[in-house]
Amino acid sequence: MPDNDKLKIAVYTCYCGGNISDVVDCEKVAKAMGSQPDVVVSRTDMSLCSDAGQSQIEQDIRELGVNRVVIGSCAPTLHEVTFRNALIRAGLNPYLYQHVGLREQDSWVHSNDHAGATRKAMHLMKAGIAKARLLHPLEPIRLQAEKQALVIGGGVAGLRAALDIAQQGLRVVLVEKSPFVGGRMAQLEAVFPTHENARDLLRGLIKKVVNHPGIKIYTQAEVMGVAGYVGNYCAQVIQHSRGVTEENAEALLSACQQEVPDEFNYGLTRRKTIYRPYPGCYPPLPAVDWDNYQGEPISLNGGEPIVLEDVPTSVDVNVGAIVVATGFDPYEPRQGEYGYGELKEVVTLPQLIRHLALSKANHALEWNGHPVRDVAFIHCVGSREIEGVDEPHEDGRINNYCSRVCCTATLHTTEELRQHFPGLNIYDLYQDIRTYGRGHEDYYRDALLGGVRFVRYHGEEHPQVTAASAGDTHPVLIRVKDSLTYNEELEIPVDLVVLAVGMQPRQIDKLVNMLKVSRGTDRFLLEVHPKLRPVETAVNGVVLAGTAQGPMNIQESLSAASAAAAKVVALLGRGRVELQPFVAAVDAEKCNGTGACVEICEYEGAIAVQTFTENGKEVKRAVVTPANCSGCGACVAVCPNHAINVQGWTLSQYEAMVDAIASDIPNMAEVA
Amino acid sequence: MSRVDPTFLHEIKEYGAVGIEQCFNCGNCTAICPLASDDYPFPRNVIRRIQIGQRDVLRTQLDPWLCYYCGECSATCPKGAEPGETMMAARRWMTARYDWTGLSHKLYTSTTWAIGALIVGALIVLGLAWLLHGPLVTDQVQLNTFAPVEMIHLGDLILAGILSFFLLSGLFRMFVFHFREGGKWKLPPLSVFVTEAWQLVYHTLTQQRFSKCEGRRRWISHLILVFGYGSMFVLIVLFLTWFQTDNIYPIYHPQRWVGYLAALAIIYGASDALLSRIQKKHEMHHYSQLSDWLFPILLILLAVSGLLISAFRYMGLPLATYYIYVAHLVVMMMLYICIGPMGKWAHLLYRPFAVYFQVVKEKAREQSNVTAGALSSAD
Repeated sequence: MPDNDKLKIAVYTCYCGGNISDVVDCEKVAKAMGSQPDVVVSRTDMSLCSDAGQSQIEQDIRELGVNRVVIGSCAPTLHEVTFRNALIRAGLNPYLYQHVGLREQDSWVHSNDHAGATRKAMHLMKAGIAKARLLHPLEPIRLQAEKQALVIGGGVAGLRAALDIAQQGLRVVLVEKSPFVGGRMAQLEAVFPTHENARDLLRGLIKKVVNHPGIKIYTQAEVMGVAGYVGNYCAQVIQHSRGVTEENAEALLSACQQEVPDEFNYGLTRRKTIYRPYPGCYPPLPAVDWDNYQGEPISLNGGEPIVLEDVPTSVDVNVGAIVVATGFDPYEPRQGEYGYGELKEVVTLPQLIRHLALSKANHALEWNGHPVRDVAFIHCVGSREIEGVDEPHEDGRINNYCSRVCCTATLHTTEELRQHFPGLNIYDLYQDIRTYGRGHEDYYRDALLGGVRFVRYHGEEHPQVTAASAGDTHPVLIRVKDSLTYNEELEIPVDLVVLAVGMQPRQIDKLVNMLKVSRGTDRFLLEVHPKLRPVETAVNGVVLAGTAQGPMNIQESLSAASAAAAKVVALLGRGRVELQPFVAAVDAEKCNGTGACVEICEYEGAIAVQTFTENGKEVKRAVVTPANCSGCGACVAVCPNHAINVQGWTLSQYEAMVDAIASDIPNMAEVA
Repeated sequence: MSRVDPTFLHEIKEYGAVGIEQCFNCGNCTAICPLASDDYPFPRNVIRRIQIGQRDVLRTQLDPWLCYYCGECSATCPKGAEPGETMMAARRWMTARYDWTGLSHKLYTSTTWAIGALIVGALIVLGLAWLLHGPLVTDQVQLNTFAPVEMIHLGDLILAGILSFFLLSGLFRMFVFHFREGGKWKLPPLSVFVTEAWQLVYHTLTQQRFSKCEGRRRWISHLILVFGYGSMFVLIVLFLTWFQTDNIYPIYHPQRWVGYLAALAIIYGASDALLSRIQKKHEMHHYSQLSDWLFPILLILLAVSGLLISAFRYMGLPLATYYIYVAHLVVMMMLYICIGPMGKWAHLLYRPFAVYFQVVKEKAREQSNVTAGALSSAD
């Protein structure tokens, strides 16, 4: 920078198209600022963010040798970056810029006091100038980034994200907790709105993922630890043994005797502890369910009984970013909720879908060996719960959110039922029908036309599901106040009750703590901003894909997964990551290694005391790892030696601003 | 508490309802209806009872009869659920519920039964005519020789008696269904029935509620039909000896013009309804059941054959007069057997009584409110 010793400050007071100038007398402010020391030019502009406005700034830097720029305009969130870029284009370090928020901090909040607002603008601008005098050129923190991403979760969202990232030339490590990929979607049959078979769709995607040379899949694996920062995470992945080999798999499978409830069919059937969840699964090799296999000896072809053993292996993977695609769990109704767990005729929608798949060949719908003539669906089970009405769950919370998918899923299932079993009477007990997606309303219309009887209950008065009295025509009786029938209580005798259960977050506390991502009040993972940054978390380099973030249908999960992948690719694609330089910096001369800063720091790996040898003496000093530092300033406050500052926001800069705000404005009389 | 029954909807469809399944209970039909009220929120109320299968609830209600089918509801329905047609079907179903013989159900839901009833009606008249007719005087018209008026009058009275028996027993059942709830009578005070009796006459004669419907032309046309039919009914049942005559009167004689006017009124009213059904001009004429066609057609045939009897008599055509007279009686019998007390014709009693019951209940409630008010103010 030429002639760095001599400050040449350019000051601009923006009209913001009237937003500021309607209240603040910008011309007077500009005039007053023009007489401040070191200010070489003070201008106003109708709209400084316009091309013309930005050109003016660039021109002033080039022609007048300006080396500090102060702009009073909108909030820095809106145009700070715009103006920094103007400095870059004019060849000036972008951090020699100070932004003053004249609109949000002044004109908008003092619109009834023009003179007062103008005085305040002068004070704010003066403070900005005072800080600008003390600005130093800074460089963004540039980090080498691993061109590899970790995807946690091998469901449809994780698979999609992995494939999208890999197709952009980055490597992917996909970690799936269960022995097979495919997740919840594999448990579905025909899916709305296209009626394609879920596993067929999934198979196509899995094939692409498996065949992609850039993707490494770990099944039966878990992320046990994560260290590092954006661009340079190191994740420890523990993988359990498969337990079988290509050679002995089939023999072991048939020899295995121990059976447990099959979670793939939501407990409707049983499976062996060596198993494949469904034909055509991936990986095709069966796996041992180590949670349930307790070392029982298995006899192979009458030979010596063998005992299988789990020998977990640990792998450290270096990745630049992490995609969390851990998915959801279907809500498990409480014991007795709508008779669930007490009446054998009460099932969940996922269970019914599995039941239909298992009994596809049948001509009549049966449950427990009895023909089903009348079936009722109850919506919003485990969703839209009301504070004070519904009992809180174990963690004290209620699921007050809408699970969004169940309405269309329920109506879609009624359509399947009507097609396969035309004589079936179907009742649909709902609060609101929320078939919001494209084409989803057709399911509601078709259900009406197809004779599904809708009964509308209020969330404060749930339907009562009880066993019918002996000799009744049906085993179960539902009593419900129907707001469509003037709140009269109706009795619905049915053979089967299907609970349209919502989605709830998976138990991933360990992972959440490891990654330090936040959760919403609904306990799903939280994005930075629901509109503007919908898949990023507050942790740099950790993004969300699919239902880990909240209830979504398959289509939405895939949109989110692709968005997450795009974010990862944009972050890591260049092989380096740039971060703002506003992080703690230690003054080596003042620091004597007290460690107070390390104690107060909330960010793991942001600051540490290290021992150096200096002139033959051992000295302790705090060392900042900029990538992990958030620039919060907690360390600045506790350092007894004032040895730490946040770059770009130093203590001396603050002091200068306070002094400037407190001091008089010359020629103030002219203003008043 | 009532139990849902998914079969009711299908049963009502046999009575001609279309599109009930389309209904998602928004209530636009009731909102647009000029006659619906908080106590009688039809058509939505009726549709919902049907969807849920509350036979026993619908059976007790007056709602279907309080509707004159202007069709505004069907025109307004966002789903094309044809609420007006459901109301129409509900009236047919109600008629069948009031009928204790079970014939009404057959006649409404089976074309075979309806056609069979027409044939039976024709055969009865032809048989009686074959057995009982007098000599066919051919040199001049002597109708009272061919069909002695005393005999015909006696026959008319017997027929009127039979019709009244079925119709009144239907009305009694309607009364019981409506005023008996859960095995207990819920009757307004008898005094209110008496003091409000004039309303029954008033509403029968003016059909004043009908005039509140959209399109007053239908009300007027229907009123003309009612007056024509009513006058003719009275003439034939009470004054046949005066009306059926072999005397030759001048055109201005009341025996002639009263008959002509009544016949023309019937032809006008019935043709208007028939044409409207053919052209499907109005909402309420988009769907027509067999009974909807037969009623106006038989009425027109009845009036036209009646006019022809007179015409042939004055033209001095004896045989033509006798044959058309028998044909006239055949049409009459067809009408009363097929769509009489067990069919569409019965609405001439049920509808005014429904309005009457409604008025009585409202009056009784007003009175009890006044009494309650007086009691509470006395406190």
